Amino acid sequence: MNDSIASDPKRRELEELLPFYANGRISDADKRRVETALAADAELAARLDLIRDDMAETVLLNESLGAPSHNALEKLMAGIEAEARPVPLLARAQENGRGLLGWLGGLLAAQTPRRLAYASAAALALIVLQGVAITGLALRDGGPGFQTASAPGTRASESYVLLSFSPEAKAGEIASFFKRFDASVVDGPRANGFFKVRVGDASLSTAQVDAIAARMKGESAIVSFVAPAP
Amino acid sequence: MHTESDEDLVKRIASGDRLAMKVLFSRHQVRVYRFVLRLVRDETLAEDVISDVFMDLWRQADRFEARASVSTWLLAIARNKAWSLLRKRRDAELDEDYAESIEDETDGPEVVLQKQDKGLAIRACLGRLSAEHREVIDLVYYHETSVEEVARIVGIPENTVKTRLFHARKKLGEMLKAAGIDRGWP
Repeated sequence: MNDSIASDPKRRELEELLPFYANGRISDADKRRVETALAADAELAARLDLIRDDMAETVLLNESLGAPSHNALEKLMAGIEAEARPVPLLARAQENGRGLLGWLGGLLAAQTPRRLAYASAAALALIVLQGVAITGLALRDGGPGFQTASAPGTRASESYVLLSFSPEAKAGEIASFFKRFDASVVDGPRANGFFKVRVGDASLSTAQVDAIAARMKGESAIVSFVAPAP
Repeated sequence: MHTESDEDLVKRIASGDRLAMKVLFSRHQVRVYRFVLRLVRDETLAEDVISDVFMDLWRQADRFEARASVSTWLLAIARNKAWSLLRKRRDAELDEDYAESIEDETDGPEVVLQKQDKGLAIRACLGRLSAEHREVIDLVYYHETSVEEVARIVGIPENTVKTRLFHARKKLGEMLKAAGIDRGWP
């Protein structure tokens, strides 16, 4: 079949921008050019629909890949320990020839009492902040593991769908949509407009989640894409 | 709540801060892992690669220049390591197209089409694209990167990014068509 877009350099150039228009990573100037062309070129608009379909499935495919085990972090930290680089401060003290304590003693003796008081307060605040950070890291998600900030809410104890809203959907309609399905957003929106939505706990079977996704899909005035997500 | 930027974490890592390393790792590990896993198709190898990627970051943190984002930097290191593994694996095999010949565990597009699920068929075809096409599709559709970022990660000119993505999309359409799903293009 003859590809009329590919054979027209101007349209082909715009067509090649569509994936970046769909993922939101395009300059304002190019975005305006693409939008003007889309309004007048139905074939180009159809191509954008294909890209959005493929994008949704690529997200689902990647989300289904899971996460690395704790071994990856353990291996990394073991490697770091094994490499144990010299701390610059210690290295400087050693170069000084008096040893760390002698060097530190000399440094402190040279400071005024007021400066020492400020330094102590700052050090204390830093220790408290680090403590909070370490505790937060250890207690996150109630388990011993690590969770990524880029993929929150991926616990297997809940059931999810991936969806995007129709551009015409009103805020009130979206709110009542969530109420009807007893659903809540756990991640998003991403630049491509997708949300990860919790639709129930892990006791839902695959068929039940499929059924919920199908019912949601039926509300085409509100959602433009829905699919069960891992 | 204040969240420390990736760039600030890298500065702390450059001064030997292990906690900053753990925070940055937990922030990026899943996406980097998925990117590598889609290329090498082996979970254990993908985990080894991400440990190596972050080890490189630990060693080179003081050389990080904020011209690119930390995430782009990590994906570029990960991509180099994954491709180096793929090349080694190819060298070890008689078949030059080893990476492309690995059987995907999911059903083929024809099988899933019989199950009447277009989404599944698209995903099956996405799994069967060449590694070059898979990576550019993943970078743009999943990792939401710009033309400039893909160029930096893959190490190709920006125009080649657009052309390669065009051919990857075309190939995907051809595979779907061969499986019985004609979407009107190509």
